[in-house]
Amino acid sequence: MSDTAARLTQDRQKLEMAALSAPAVIFTVAMIAFPVVYTIWLGFQTFSSTGKQSFAGLANYSKLISDVEFWHGLWITIALFVLSLVLQLVFGVWLALVLFHAKRLPGIVRSLFISPFMMPPVVAGMMWLVILDPSLGAANYILQSFGLPPSDWLASPTWVIPTVALIDSWQWTPYVALIVLGGLQSLPPSVYEAAQIDGASAFKTFQRITLPLLLPTIVTAAILRSVDLLRFFDIIYITTQGGPGNASNTLNIYGFRIGFEFFNIGYASALMLTLTAIVFGAVLAFNRLRGAVAW
Amino acid sequence: MKARMLATHVALPVFAIAAASAPAHAADFDWMKFKGKTVTFLANNNPVAQALLTYKADFEKLTGMTLKVDAYQEQQMRQRLVTVMNANSDEVDVFMTLPSREGEQFAAAGWYGDLTAMARNEVAKDYDPNGLSQALLKAATFNGKLTSMPMNIEGPIFYYRTDIFKKCGLDAPKTIKDVEAAAEKIKTCDGAVTPFVSRGLKPAIAYTFSNMLHNIGGTYIASGKSNLCSAKGKEALDTYSRLLRDFGPPGVVNYSFQQISALYRSGRAAMAFESSNELRTVMEGGARLKDTGLLPFPAGEAGQVPTTIGWGMAVSSHSKQPEAAWYFVQWATSPEVQKKMALQGIAPPRPSVAKDPEYRKWIDEEPVRKEWQAALDVLATKGSSEVGYPIVANPESREFIGQAVQDLILKQKPVEQACADADKALDALIARK
Repeated sequence: MSDTAARLTQDRQKLEMAALSAPAVIFTVAMIAFPVVYTIWLGFQTFSSTGKQSFAGLANYSKLISDVEFWHGLWITIALFVLSLVLQLVFGVWLALVLFHAKRLPGIVRSLFISPFMMPPVVAGMMWLVILDPSLGAANYILQSFGLPPSDWLASPTWVIPTVALIDSWQWTPYVALIVLGGLQSLPPSVYEAAQIDGASAFKTFQRITLPLLLPTIVTAAILRSVDLLRFFDIIYITTQGGPGNASNTLNIYGFRIGFEFFNIGYASALMLTLTAIVFGAVLAFNRLRGAVAW
Repeated sequence: MKARMLATHVALPVFAIAAASAPAHAADFDWMKFKGKTVTFLANNNPVAQALLTYKADFEKLTGMTLKVDAYQEQQMRQRLVTVMNANSDEVDVFMTLPSREGEQFAAAGWYGDLTAMARNEVAKDYDPNGLSQALLKAATFNGKLTSMPMNIEGPIFYYRTDIFKKCGLDAPKTIKDVEAAAEKIKTCDGAVTPFVSRGLKPAIAYTFSNMLHNIGGTYIASGKSNLCSAKGKEALDTYSRLLRDFGPPGVVNYSFQQISALYRSGRAAMAFESSNELRTVMEGGARLKDTGLLPFPAGEAGQVPTTIGWGMAVSSHSKQPEAAWYFVQWATSPEVQKKMALQGIAPPRPSVAKDPEYRKWIDEEPVRKEWQAALDVLATKGSSEVGYPIVANPESREFIGQAVQDLILKQKPVEQACADADKALDALIARK
């Protein structure tokens, strides 16, 4: 084939590929890029209580820096993120080990263990709101049956964040367990055989072999959970709406209320873009960590 | 902006002028005019809408129209409405609205369709627009435009356990001080029951707190500035928060009407200060039917100034079929439908329905219903529709009122600091254009 003919064939192939991938590209631009770009634009606008819009420049971002509620929300978001992530990773690994080793566990028991994360977050929130009601809920009834003092749970400014972290961990630990279980099942058996021959104890095997080999999988689970935890919304909105006071007012809840209850779309957009940047930063950091622990 | 005081002696009822022309149009009225059309109704999934939608099939049979209902909890309904209206979408024709909360805001944003002409010229002969509460119609009128038709009349009322009061040697409270004394007494006399419960959830507090503030003689705004740190303002903040903190249930800071009704209905509260709409929920199962008394909230130094509001039905300004939408609004707020809703415990915004023999028979069946109606009569004659600050940013103002009360319930601030912090934020809101 001559050079010209080959070039024409190549150009035609490129054109065909472009035409075939165009629908996906258009869809991606419309569904992902457009909302992001529009939100960036909104962040530079100001909206009055009656919806009148005007260009605000960087006013929303400078307001954000001096907004006490923003920094408080950021602190609450980080506290909830760290507490929930630690709980879910620790108990997720434990649950994965149980499911991995207890091969005779009936299927229904396995299903029960992992069923919470299949529940819609709104349903989980409503359920726990009732269970944890200080007056009518089962949680305090059980505590008092054992002679223990009741708790205010979600109504306590001190305990609301740990309580929300527990609810989220109850729901999403099985998800982490499933990811880690997949990692466990892919570990090479030869290293375990070698450890057994060397007389390593179960704990030493876990500490020196299983955990280091599982680290990439655990970090992957951490990345996936981090994106959700930093954007924590459903459970808090259903149970406390950011209260009591503003004790559970995460950045996402705060931005949502600013935008949808007080109609300040411009400032809410600036808040949400800041949160998005934080989420991206966390994902990048975990990705680097994953690279560092890869084997 | 002045508080929208409700009174039976409104100077010029909105529809007094329309009365002369109504009969000429009523005779030509054809319910089937928009047969085949679909009207979309964005509803708040509360007892008012639930009662109305029981008769959805009647509307569809009467008009030949299809009613498509989009029902959400109150906050989600507003969020959906904000999304739809900001997008200038026509996907909602009719929506429920609370003029006392968002009326100024929605009217200024141009979201309400103007019902003035349709309510005058496109009415069936038995619709009787003059029969609707003129005060509620006035509260729904902004810049001379009627923006919604009232669906009900409601306000927070005082539910109390007559049996517990009798056991503890207490008379029905006449003043706020009596309520506090009763709470003290019940705490020692009957340790198994929560003496007092009302709203403690931050965005919900203003609904009940406003009643107490007005009874005590306080105002939200004085000389253009936030007035929570006035003597009366501080007294109201202190009294309301103390009642909940010292005599309320654990976790009261998360309490709104669902939790309050559940607690009272289960017999675990001696006094509840909650919406009149909750009568049906509270009486479910019948346990509280015989041992509940009902009153408007007891008087303070300024007497009784009960909070009185009403949900309204509005036509979206972006609707492409406002006349068809009006037909649904007209049907839903007609005397016949409001009488049916009244028999389900939804207080009618029509005095004529309140006097209807069938309704009176239902009321007379149970003493608690008589007391409920008597309390509503006080709301209708003496009420104030001021819930939160009478400014465009009313919803945001309720946040700061709620924060001040919660700061006191949780003992996070003394009353001077709580009201000062609230006033500072609220002054900024008042000044905002």
